[in-house]
Amino acid sequence: MNDTILVVGGGPTGLAAAHGAASVGRKVVLVEKADRLGGAPILSGYAKLVPSGEWAKDAIGRMIARVESNPLATVHKSTRVTALEGGPGNFSATLSNGQQVQAGAVILGTGFTHFDSINKPEWGFGTYEDVVTTTQVEQMVGAGRIACPSDGRTPERVAILLCVGSRDRQIGREWCSKICCTVSTNLAIEIKELSPKTDVFIYYMDIRTFGLYEDKFYWTSQEEFGTKFVKARIAEVTIAPDGKRLLVKGEDTLVKRPIVIPFDLVVHAIGMDPNEDNPEIAKVFGVGLEKHGFLDRGEHYTSSFSSTRPGVYVGGAALAPEDIDTCVSHGLAMAMRAVGDLAALARKAA
Amino acid sequence: MPIHEKSLLDPNKVLTAEKLVIDGVDVSGHWNTMILPRTVADYDPDFQKTIRALPGGENVHRCWQCGSCTNSCTMYAINTDFNPRYWIYCTNLGLQSEIVKDKDIIWQCVSCNKCTNICPKDVRPEGVMKALAHWLEMEGHTPKSRSSMFDEEFTRQCIERGRIEDSEVMFKFFKASGEDVKALLTGGWLRVFIERMNNLPLLKAGRIGAFLARLPITGPLKMGWMMLFKPRTRSWARTGAVLAAYVEEQKRKAHAHG
Repeated sequence: MNDTILVVGGGPTGLAAAHGAASVGRKVVLVEKADRLGGAPILSGYAKLVPSGEWAKDAIGRMIARVESNPLATVHKSTRVTALEGGPGNFSATLSNGQQVQAGAVILGTGFTHFDSINKPEWGFGTYEDVVTTTQVEQMVGAGRIACPSDGRTPERVAILLCVGSRDRQIGREWCSKICCTVSTNLAIEIKELSPKTDVFIYYMDIRTFGLYEDKFYWTSQEEFGTKFVKARIAEVTIAPDGKRLLVKGEDTLVKRPIVIPFDLVVHAIGMDPNEDNPEIAKVFGVGLEKHGFLDRGEHYTSSFSSTRPGVYVGGAALAPEDIDTCVSHGLAMAMRAVGDLAALARKAA
Repeated sequence: MPIHEKSLLDPNKVLTAEKLVIDGVDVSGHWNTMILPRTVADYDPDFQKTIRALPGGENVHRCWQCGSCTNSCTMYAINTDFNPRYWIYCTNLGLQSEIVKDKDIIWQCVSCNKCTNICPKDVRPEGVMKALAHWLEMEGHTPKSRSSMFDEEFTRQCIERGRIEDSEVMFKFFKASGEDVKALLTGGWLRVFIERMNNLPLLKAGRIGAFLARLPITGPLKMGWMMLFKPRTRSWARTGAVLAAYVEEQKRKAHAHG
């Protein structure tokens, strides 16, 4: 029996899982397809994380350093798993770099893919330079300046459109991406901090800043930073006759009147799609997908974080849209599952 | 041609000419019904600040539109056009024209404060209603209220003399509010008031002794003397000037906020 643990994905989930397994003396092999560890927060250049307010490169950076400096952990970057044979206690994985890894358990922290706004062309992304995504604004905050990409001017007025790529049957996204409301209200605060004269408007269907994010982000952005919340699902974004400002068109649900409001910068609060590689991941690891395309989970109450294949565990944003803090917890929980199940196998064999 | 969803339209946005001929074609009556666009084309970001600077409006920006205020409202139960939630939304987005549209009902708030009690975000909608009514009056959308007229005269006397003269306050208030004092004296409530104060029923009953014993003499005399000489509180001149300057400063500050 082999008690090495194979962790797939080097984001918050995988990093937490790898550290967790190594912390109880297990050997860990971490496989990451990108050339860097850190996952979405690092690869997409997130600014300050919700809810800690810590810069992503600091917070996730610590998680990376903790794994990379652990002698029990072997890290393969720019590498994928191409095949997985065997079962609990004796998996054999083939990596794209030609190596073979023998492992007792497999942890999938394969994450998600940001929604590509090009799939909602009516909201102007890809047509107008000044229509951007929350990820791009994260990068602007990281660089310390909010600017319209078209000419570099500081926007007087910013519109953040919620539920872009979420809760939308038209494009087959029938889920709430869970974190965009919180991220958007946090960005509204950060925009105001960087540019106090900029007015930020959030166009919403509902505000879902769950749990303790309610007052910390939603209330604070509204009450202390003057973010205005408008209940309207936007119909389209076009350009004003001056060729400069964008016109946000829709119906204000509460005023029951059409609106055509000029903005300098329009931000799509993009949702979380299933990882675009999920069909391949399902095939390679022999695990199922649920109906939206995320990885399917087994029975949760007594077999937490099980996938549909024994010995393969799945957690984090691979399961469903998830926030970073929860992903970290999932990672640690999966390490517990893997180590515990391997210990049970060893007892049985003895 | 019937207009569907007429309830959504402003009556003054529907135009129909009795007689209209375009290019020689008679399009009188319903055929020329036109509707002006009802699109909201912009927000006024300063309006919220203006209302927040008025007493009662301080928390209007906290609203998240749950509608608890309207649901609990005493006035809404009588008139569904009385919708505090909606006016708060319009205030926050700066849709002033929507507020002005309802100028004749906003002041009807009876200050029962059920909204204040129920509001989960502590917006204090009752205060917002006061602030909006105040703003409508300030901007001349509604006539000056009787209580404002009373306050103005009361404050004027306070600042000028450090005291008020009741009868003069009432007299000037009646004058400002256009009351017919003569009618009040001959047949209105003022006559009843004076009759009772002076125990005229005793006189009518022929109890002259009792009437004379209760006849107010020094009071009215003092009142007349004060109306004539308008005395000030001792060494008021400087205090009054300081008070006036302070009031001016506060007004200026409130305006600067707005």
